[in-house]
Amino acid sequence: MGMNDTNDLRKKNGLMHPSVDKVLVIEGTHAASHAVRLAKVQVIAAYPITPQTGVVEKLSEIVSHRELNAKFIKVESEHSAMACCIGASISGARAFTATSSQGLALMHELLHWAAGSRLPIVMVNVNRAMAPPWSIYVDHNDSLSQRDTGWIQFYAESNQEVLDTVLQAYKIAETVSLPIMINLDAFVLSHTSEPVAIPKQEVVDEFLPERKALFKVDPAEPHAFGALIGPEAYMEMRYKLFQAMEDAREVIRRVDSEYSEKFGRSYGGLVEEYCMEDAEIVLMTSATAVSTARIAVDELRSLGFPVGLMKVRAFRPFPVDEIRELAQRVHKIGVMDRNISFGATGMIYQETKAVLYNASVRPKLFGFIAGLGGRDITPETIKDIYSYLLNHDAPESETIWVGLKSGQEVRPEGGNASSAAFGQNENV
Amino acid sequence: MGQYKFTTVEEMPPLAFSLESTRKIPTGSWRHVRPIYKEKSSPCEIGCPAGENIPQYFDLVRNGKYEEAWHKILEDNPLPGVTGRVCYHPCEGQCNRGPYDEEIAIHNIERFVADKNFRNRNLPRSGEFHKSEKIAVIGSGPAGLSCAYQLARKGYRVVIYESEHEPGGMLRYGIPHYRLPKNILNKEIGDIKSQGVDISVDSKIGGNVAWTELEKYDAVFVAVGATSSRKMEVDGEDLQGVYSGVEFLYELNNGRKPKVGNRVVVIGGGNTAIDAARSVLRLGKKVTVLYRRTRSEMPAVPEEIEEAEKEGVKFEFLVAPEELTGNRGKVSKIELIRMKLGEPDESGRRKPVPLRNSNFTLPVDTVISAIGEAPDLSFLPYSFLKKGVRIFVDENYSTGVPGIFAGGDSATNPNGTVVNAIRAGKEAAISIDEFLGWRAKSDGAPREIVKPEEINTFYFPHEKRVKIPRMKVDSSVSTFKEVNKTISDAQALEEVERCFSCGTCLHCDVCMTFCPDVAISKDEAGEYVIDYDHCKGCGICVNECPREAMELVEEETQWV
Amino acid sequence: MGQIKYQLPPEEILSPGHFACPGCGGTLTMRYVLKALGRKTVVVIPACCWSVIDGPVPYSAAGVPVFHTAFEAAASTASGIKAGLEMQGDHETTVVAIAGDGGTFDIGFQALSGAAERNEDFIYVCYDNEAYMNTGIQRSSATPFGAWTTTTPTDSPKAEKKKDIVQVLAAHHIPYLATASVAYPDDMIAKIQKAKEIRGLRFVHVFSPCPPGWKFEPEDSIKISRMAIESRVFPLLEIYDGNDYRLTHEPAGSPVRDYLKMQGRFRHLKEADIDVIQKNVDEEWEGLKGKLAYSMKVHKSNNSVRSQDKEVSLAKAQSRKGIKRNVR
Repeated sequence: MGMNDTNDLRKKNGLMHPSVDKVLVIEGTHAASHAVRLAKVQVIAAYPITPQTGVVEKLSEIVSHRELNAKFIKVESEHSAMACCIGASISGARAFTATSSQGLALMHELLHWAAGSRLPIVMVNVNRAMAPPWSIYVDHNDSLSQRDTGWIQFYAESNQEVLDTVLQAYKIAETVSLPIMINLDAFVLSHTSEPVAIPKQEVVDEFLPERKALFKVDPAEPHAFGALIGPEAYMEMRYKLFQAMEDAREVIRRVDSEYSEKFGRSYGGLVEEYCMEDAEIVLMTSATAVSTARIAVDELRSLGFPVGLMKVRAFRPFPVDEIRELAQRVHKIGVMDRNISFGATGMIYQETKAVLYNASVRPKLFGFIAGLGGRDITPETIKDIYSYLLNHDAPESETIWVGLKSGQEVRPEGGNASSAAFGQNENV
Repeated sequence: MGQYKFTTVEEMPPLAFSLESTRKIPTGSWRHVRPIYKEKSSPCEIGCPAGENIPQYFDLVRNGKYEEAWHKILEDNPLPGVTGRVCYHPCEGQCNRGPYDEEIAIHNIERFVADKNFRNRNLPRSGEFHKSEKIAVIGSGPAGLSCAYQLARKGYRVVIYESEHEPGGMLRYGIPHYRLPKNILNKEIGDIKSQGVDISVDSKIGGNVAWTELEKYDAVFVAVGATSSRKMEVDGEDLQGVYSGVEFLYELNNGRKPKVGNRVVVIGGGNTAIDAARSVLRLGKKVTVLYRRTRSEMPAVPEEIEEAEKEGVKFEFLVAPEELTGNRGKVSKIELIRMKLGEPDESGRRKPVPLRNSNFTLPVDTVISAIGEAPDLSFLPYSFLKKGVRIFVDENYSTGVPGIFAGGDSATNPNGTVVNAIRAGKEAAISIDEFLGWRAKSDGAPREIVKPEEINTFYFPHEKRVKIPRMKVDSSVSTFKEVNKTISDAQALEEVERCFSCGTCLHCDVCMTFCPDVAISKDEAGEYVIDYDHCKGCGICVNECPREAMELVEEETQWV
Repeated sequence: MGQIKYQLPPEEILSPGHFACPGCGGTLTMRYVLKALGRKTVVVIPACCWSVIDGPVPYSAAGVPVFHTAFEAAASTASGIKAGLEMQGDHETTVVAIAGDGGTFDIGFQALSGAAERNEDFIYVCYDNEAYMNTGIQRSSATPFGAWTTTTPTDSPKAEKKKDIVQVLAAHHIPYLATASVAYPDDMIAKIQKAKEIRGLRFVHVFSPCPPGWKFEPEDSIKISRMAIESRVFPLLEIYDGNDYRLTHEPAGSPVRDYLKMQGRFRHLKEADIDVIQKNVDEEWEGLKGKLAYSMKVHKSNNSVRSQDKEVSLAKAQSRKGIKRNVR
């Protein structure tokens, strides 16, 4: 890569924008930590878990160096971490935590509590596979298992996006009064150094002013929060939460464009499209797999294949409109899930399918499972998937496992079979 | 947050939170029993013949309201300075604190209150003489004074006829100065007079005042007391050197010193006997009290017996006089017989029975006989119904002759004490008022009396009864000055603080303190108010009330 | 001296109309705590009777802000609220977690232990009614030996001793720990007020009788509490820094039998069982006396709170190392 190319890339990645204070080559976890510093978070509560530890270690350093005036509560569990954040947030403060996998699962009850209390807590979750067996590597089952807790969920593709999304997240969360989880892939982002533009504090301050809590525990205006409620009003409370999540779609889009104006970087809101002009076959996926897919798409495009890519950035709220609009334009949609809902399918696939059921145009939909427990997703993996899409009019089964090691071909006996696999035994 | 309501989704806040207090929720509907404040009688006030409201005046003392406390006593007894000194205080015998540690020294508090107001002439005069009827009272002893005072307070003009030169009856002439200084008596008689009671001294009915004089009155109260000593009915009773107790004390109280020898005996076990014996000591002579039963049967106030003993009076029990013999008309020997206690008599005390052949003789030069007193009713013109030596009266103190009432020691059912005379005067005044048509007898249901086990003694740490300040024995026996002293303010406060105040709320806030439902508060006047909209009827307030001034009553079930 | 009377702060912060059962000890606890702390207070309530007592939406009895949190999260939520308030410049508001024995001894214990070890700056009040009462009287680790509950029926009553939460927390070296009883409101309020002035984690363990759960008439709530204290079943203590013990009320040492006999939950006990309980109480008491004597020797503390100079103890408490006075 020549110097000019590098500069182009820097420009493209917003590294040369006037808002940039400095560019650091840092791990994804540290990108999160710097975002927390810039967001002037007041209370941090966290418990260490691999591969999240970088976040809390860096934050400990930031706080102890007084680069951030915050209380860092080094709790004895993730459960307490979330409870502390809930407490801090209901007091009116800006709160942050970070976790991963088992830690997130332990928080589960309190994820409901945070959302039900309508608290704009921001959490970074480093996606790691669930045990047993123990694994410290990436997949998305941990966070996607929390999809019904009422949290907004973002999946980041790069360390820069981690930083940018944390900053956006506070603005979104404090606008719609919902907590937000920013997910990044274990090791692929968490422990991989990339250049990250660190914005100037004053620009961040303009973008993200101090939190003004709508409701808080205030002795001057005492309320009891979260008491018993009867069937006559519980449902309305749930409707309110549902509605807030609906409203969040527009807020996410708006905040992203506002962010773009201030910092020169945009992620498209709920989704980001790549090479979608005249695309007939599109792959939907999320997180770091998107970067890998970009390479595969570039290659396939250069060979003349009408392929495109759609990055699912927000899983909650789910990009319903974006997907329905996409369906108008393409023939086939493949969804690559780095997760599996046992007894069903990959979760993004499942939801995409659900969105399209009532859509006026319904292209063929393919569901792929790949990269569980840190299995590499390479450009070859993606190309295999595109190849499958190009070569099949319809999926052979509801889940197509990519790269599964098997002595035999895992092929469906018929159209109704629930799974198929390719990649390991077959060269498409 | 006024914009929010939990009605429609539009009006509801984004998260569930409270908009108002639970005060709106009428949790009182859960209740099936209801606590109420219900005052009860303390055993002491029931035990007080005069019916003094002891817990109430104690509370006033507790709050330093000595004048109000005095006024409270005066409702029932115009002579607190007198009774505070000489009353045998049956109230204390009933005191619920007795079984717990030591009974309250009620009489000392009464005396304290009276003495605090010794220079206070500000009585709570009830009004002018708005009643036209006039009433005569014969005798200015405690019964007569009490009756006259109560009648005056009810609005009557009252005249007391007193045969002696000064009013007071036995209070003046029967009780020695060292027990009841005359200035105390004079002060309280002055108080009674200040209520408009007219006392006509040197006016003996049947003597210088004819009975017919009384015809101008609408009612008469006869309270001449019992002033004649009962005879021993033994030979030699008329010898020189033999006195009756009444006579002996009368002389002393008139400022004369009766002649006594060196070997003095007093016969009898009542207060007159003790008063006489202690007076003899003060005349510088040794004295022995001879009594036919034992110490525990002595009718005298136990403290008085103790005091007498302390001062050096000797006692000889279970002996009775058989004969007095003289030498040249002067008594020189007394023959006594030993007794033993037999079956109980009608007074409940065991009857003394002579032991045959136990006679013995003591050399004496003075014998004071104090075996009881009887009224002198010779002045009565009509054939009044009598019972024994006394005028018969019914429970309303009526003699049966319309308009003529009697009470105190000259009428039936006396017990020879000041306080019972005061009670008779007070109750007779009510009967007279009723007889004259002014007052319908209002008989409220009798209040329950608080029992010792109903007191929540947790709230009362054990504390000693106040020690009565007293003149040293050495000095006390050489003077007729008052022996016992008034307790100090601090002592009085300590003693009233010991009082359980059985059945009378002291606003101690215990009920309020322990209410889990925050349903008890105080109004502007400082009285407790129970919020029945929220009281769940747990009963803690009633159970914890230290003094049983509350009660739980069943709620009427309401079927909705 | 005269009658024992209580001088409580006059302001009533708790409202009537709450949902407590008649005679509830936990409710008196709340009433006294609020009186002692005043209105500048935030209350955290995990799942417990008080989740119900405070009233359904849109009502609240507490009169101060209340945050209802998950069963096991009282201490952690309180930590967060305090941290949040401090970071917003509010150094005045007292944060108090009020939890039952289940939320303290059992499910909430981890969070409490964590907060205690970190010496978080809030007051934790446990109203101990010795079982899961809100769910219908199931045994907890606070249930005493021999007691009936719906999960320890009378033919197999609780065979284990009550967890000694006071010792467990003393082992966390928290600056202030006290036990209190609703029958001794002056003692309790003095302790809460003292706790208010100390920084760091303050734990107050309140003996809170439950008429339906212990099977006694609601009117006897205070009487039973008193008997628990006077029989030494529940001594009234203060512990500074986890090792400086003081007794704040000298119990009469009345027989435990009298206390047990008043409650239906102990009705099945035989004389021999009662003897065992008495023996346990006596042993615990001897152990406590040893600690008190040691404290007297080492800390030269006056073993009576009634004569204790509040200022002195306060200064002492504040001078302890590790106590965070202010946040930068």
